[in-house]
Amino acid sequence: MSGLMQGRGAWIRLGLAVAVLAACWWPRAAGAQPGDLTLVALTAALALSILAPGLGQAGRAVALLAMGLALSLAGGPLAFQQGGAEAGGFWAAAIAVWLGAWLLVALVAELPWRRGPWGLIAPLIFGATILWAWESVVRALDVPRVILPAPSEIAARLASSTDTLWIDLVQTFGRGALAGFAIGCGSAFLFALVVDRYPFLKRGLLPVGNFLAALPIIGTAPIFVMWFGFDWPSKAAVVVAMVFFPMLVNTVQGLAATEAMQRDLMRTYSASWGQTLLRLRLPAAMPFIFNGLKICATLALIGAIVAEFFGSPTYGMGFRISTEVGRLSLDMVWAEIAVAAALGSAFYGVWALLERQVTFWHPSQRGR
Amino acid sequence: MSRSLPVLTVTAVLIALWYLAVIPMNATWEYDQARRAGSELPFAEMVARTMAQERPVLPAPHQVVIGLYEQTVGCDAVGRRMCRETTPLTVQGFGQRVAAAFTSNRSLIYHAGVTLSATMLGFLIGTGGGILLAIGIVYNRAMDASVMPWAIASQTIPIIALAPMIIVVLNSVGISGLVPKAIIAAYLSFFPVVVGMVKGLRSPDAMQMDQMKTWSATGGQVFARLRLPMSMPYLFASLKIGIAAALVGTIVGELPIQQGGLGVRLLSGSYYGQTIQIWAALFAAAILAAALVGIVGLIERRVLARMGMKR
Amino acid sequence: MTKFAWAGMAAALGMTAGMASAQDAVTLQLKWVTQGQFAGYYVALDNGYYEEEGLDVTIRPGGPDIAPVQVLMGGGADVMVDWMPSALAAREQGAPVVNIAQPVVRSGLMLVCWADAGITTPEDFRGHKIGTWFFGNEIPLLNWLSQLGIPTTGGEDGAEILRIGFNVDPLLQRQADCVTAMTYNEYWQVIDAGVTPEQIVVFRYEDYGVATLEDGLWVNEENLSDPAFVDRMARFVRASMRGWEWALANPEAAAEIVLDNDETGAQTLEHQVRMVREMAALTEGSTGVLDEAAYQRTVDTLLGGGSDPVITRAPEGAFTHVVTEAASME
Repeated sequence: MSGLMQGRGAWIRLGLAVAVLAACWWPRAAGAQPGDLTLVALTAALALSILAPGLGQAGRAVALLAMGLALSLAGGPLAFQQGGAEAGGFWAAAIAVWLGAWLLVALVAELPWRRGPWGLIAPLIFGATILWAWESVVRALDVPRVILPAPSEIAARLASSTDTLWIDLVQTFGRGALAGFAIGCGSAFLFALVVDRYPFLKRGLLPVGNFLAALPIIGTAPIFVMWFGFDWPSKAAVVVAMVFFPMLVNTVQGLAATEAMQRDLMRTYSASWGQTLLRLRLPAAMPFIFNGLKICATLALIGAIVAEFFGSPTYGMGFRISTEVGRLSLDMVWAEIAVAAALGSAFYGVWALLERQVTFWHPSQRGR
Repeated sequence: MSRSLPVLTVTAVLIALWYLAVIPMNATWEYDQARRAGSELPFAEMVARTMAQERPVLPAPHQVVIGLYEQTVGCDAVGRRMCRETTPLTVQGFGQRVAAAFTSNRSLIYHAGVTLSATMLGFLIGTGGGILLAIGIVYNRAMDASVMPWAIASQTIPIIALAPMIIVVLNSVGISGLVPKAIIAAYLSFFPVVVGMVKGLRSPDAMQMDQMKTWSATGGQVFARLRLPMSMPYLFASLKIGIAAALVGTIVGELPIQQGGLGVRLLSGSYYGQTIQIWAALFAAAILAAALVGIVGLIERRVLARMGMKR
Repeated sequence: MTKFAWAGMAAALGMTAGMASAQDAVTLQLKWVTQGQFAGYYVALDNGYYEEEGLDVTIRPGGPDIAPVQVLMGGGADVMVDWMPSALAAREQGAPVVNIAQPVVRSGLMLVCWADAGITTPEDFRGHKIGTWFFGNEIPLLNWLSQLGIPTTGGEDGAEILRIGFNVDPLLQRQADCVTAMTYNEYWQVIDAGVTPEQIVVFRYEDYGVATLEDGLWVNEENLSDPAFVDRMARFVRASMRGWEWALANPEAAAEIVLDNDETGAQTLEHQVRMVREMAALTEGSTGVLDEAAYQRTVDTLLGGGSDPVITRAPEGAFTHVVTEAASME
């Protein structure tokens, strides 16, 4: 019993034990989950979670791997082989799998290797658990497909519609979002340089820009579609409107981030405004500029998709999402949403990677 | 005066540019109409007409201002009786009209109130949830490792796609009206709060943490007396972003529910081609957002001053 | 358990909005926002016809992004107003919706084109831009183009389809040569904007034999096995048809009732009066009973959609006379 309550995640382990016991003892109908495989796998996972903290590093890693495998074996039948007559035992087993995954994440988080790709293990386990829970609940509660489809259906639709998804991606991201991002961030950067040169503009423009940035995009998007037509230029215009102000604010803040001592040093070298800018203030501003670029990266794709809701040719991610809802093909809608989320995160990741290369010297880039 | 002069100058220049832009944007329609009527259109008359179109491509600033007035406390918005009995030129009359506007669904003030109620509720939920999540991330390594990337990814999902589905799912369990809108607002506002609070709760440096250790402070005391106070500036910065995000979320959430609110006014202006209605609702939303951010800023200055952290 | 706890449980577990009260609760989900298109139901509500039948009716307006079928399947409404093509397509998708009444017997759908774009017959759609709404409203247009053999990919030989918002600006701003319009709504918006009827050409779907049935009342098939539900629906349909009769005889008063119920405050009286008058033309002669010949015409039109049919097989059990029979019985 002492192994049960030892170390991190003690309470979770206790909850896991209770849930596994409940799942084993609850009477179950024939053909309904939890089946024997699930119960055996759950018990194995519980045992492994008690053993793991006591092992050495390599042993612990193997034990956690085995525990992950056991939980997958337990959760798989719960999600995909439901018999339709699930009772309390099913929910106990489901809670057990959830707690087991939580425990696994807690134990994995303690492993010493967390830089680079190893850092992705815990979020992936968490994400996989959410997907598993979604699948199980949708099937167990018999949720109508036109309200919320199961992840397996969404994955199937993703696989079968790659050509449509690609055309939409090119239209929305390749044309609308990227063009808007480039124009918006580029012009915001240049504008920030101008604003920096003339402090009068700074005091006047930032409050007004604040107000203009508060105009809700839901209102400005139809107006831009009316002005710039139905194709990608209006989407790029919406993206420009969305990313201009955050990028401007961040760049202005970055340009002000140098210390007085550093600026004085440049004066002693009789550097001109341009030289000071290039050699001191821009490199010092890089952390803020990249912060702005990262924020704008996520905003760009969202802006392009929202703009497509208000008028577009018959392709594009926003178009597909809004019209497939009308056709009740919710699996296609979620497939598009998944692509949008993955794309947005990847675009964010590109800038985060670049940031690490360029601003390696900044404290925020050190490990914790 | 020196503080407002730059703002006033920039505003004046922008308004001048706006007036200039109205002419070419609305000119096409005027020339089209003249051509179909077979008549000539001199330049001066064309300019005058572009400033007074009913369905302009770009309404002139005065049209937007008049539209805003008419749709907040104008005669159409407050009802015939109020219009006859009060005048907006006196303080008392203006106040009476505003009071009447709160209950009339033809007035933007009423719709702003509807939007505001959902925004405040969503903002509270989002802030509360965000702070709790931030505390979890800072204190629990498992949560730190697993939840943060998904919180970032959640913001890449376009909420306008999810909003109708969230509302249908919530309706199917009997929750309708204010709460679904608030939940969508909370979805958009929790992320800035999480990011800001995580940064803030981690901002005490090693020296300060050691100091607390020398005083043998418990975990709770370290939280309440060191981490939480030091996170206040970050919290308020995020709150300003969060409340603007909550307003945007509410407007998005109103569209599928269609029970009043500025978002509904924005869209219904679009359906019936009433451009001025769109612009008036747009500016009302922006004014509301600016006011909310301003109020948070005021509270921030007071709180930080009392805590001795005046920036 | 106390009565309160039972009522609380019933509200939590129940799938219908609206608590049970002395009168039977019915929730109607409209296809679009509050406007004269649905005058009959609002008249029945305000004039007390629903109350006389012992019904407590809540009318939920629709809008963009609101799919009435979704709301119905989610339990947010008992009965919805929807167009037949999109309801039949949903039925084929697995949503068991059934038509119980058809108040609107003629189609108000049309295409409005600029006369100077050189479009005089449907064949001229080739090489031009047509703006249409989606969310179920694109089905009649895509169907028609498919029957004419006009591809929708644009270019010289095809028509370029644009998804437009629910207003006529794309036509007025010349971003599209033709736009979808309803006889009772968008057509009048074009006229209101200063365009004269000589400057435009209209193509009514009814005139070209590609019209499909529009506003009908649909319910979830699973509920029809409950006789109490059928009875509620019968009373609802009966009171709604009374509302339509009154609305069509008193268009100005009906428009005022619509305005009173409009939550957005954005409607104008003149536009709504016109809308109600046009609805009179579309509902004239209707008793609410679905005409099977008209239903078959709609199904045939949808099945004949060429390479991309809206429905791939004839629907079975998509309509029922059970409710209308129960309604006229008394």
